[in-house]
Amino acid sequence: MNAHAEYQELTDQQKLIDMRQELEGGFQTVIRHYQAGILHRPEKIRQAVRDNDAERVSMESHSMKSVCRQVGLMNMGEMAARLETIGNAGDLSGAEELIERLIASSVTANHELTRFCTGMELPKPFFSRAAHDE
Amino acid sequence: MSRILIIDDDEPFRIHLATLLRNSGHMVLEVECALEILDKIALDPYDLLITDIFMPGMDGFELLSMLLRHHPRIRVIAMSGGGGHMSPALALNIAKKLGAMELIRKPFAYGDVMQTVERALRSPPE
Repeated sequence: MNAHAEYQELTDQQKLIDMRQELEGGFQTVIRHYQAGILHRPEKIRQAVRDNDAERVSMESHSMKSVCRQVGLMNMGEMAARLETIGNAGDLSGAEELIERLIASSVTANHELTRFCTGMELPKPFFSRAAHDE
Repeated sequence: MSRILIIDDDEPFRIHLATLLRNSGHMVLEVECALEILDKIALDPYDLLITDIFMPGMDGFELLSMLLRHHPRIRVIAMSGGGGHMSPALALNIAKKLGAMELIRKPFAYGDVMQTVERALRSPPE
């Protein structure tokens, strides 16, 4: 069984595992910037929908899509891609429901990212350190 | 060590890219707005500039046109995941025609970024 099967939004954990290796000590800082984007950008999309500003919906959704895909939130990336398409079409009907789902997912995703990244930062098991101390 | 300037309004990508390049030993300055860099470039030359394409205010296309008109020998990498009605391939193709030396597609992969940056830095300025 996949050890991370309980994650609903974080469907491509390998992206984070790779990022952790690539960024070394900078990983936690970088991931916090992604988390802030994932939490706050859906609200900007919602506001753009309420303002009936299709161009802004497209622009914000596009950024959201890229951010999500970069850190392995592939389903949210797809939702953002659909919102971008809606924005490009200029007809925002149907966007409200999708944005509400995206907002709900972003909260879950934020918790999952924190949980996954915290797990990656755990110290080595006690017995390893005990062996080293000997 | 090379001096690299990153322009991207998307903070997570900007910080991510800057961290990767700093970890590789480069000196990196990052800004979120293309307008911020026009004066900086004249006063403070960089070995390489990496710019996003779709940004509010001045976009990467305008930046490329303006920058290369005044500083034709600067190395530029254009970076995009597409935007509006434009696919990433089309956006990057236009950037290439405007004078970008190399291209990075978003979301980016570490290996691609590092290879592209090193290749650009090895190339003589056009």
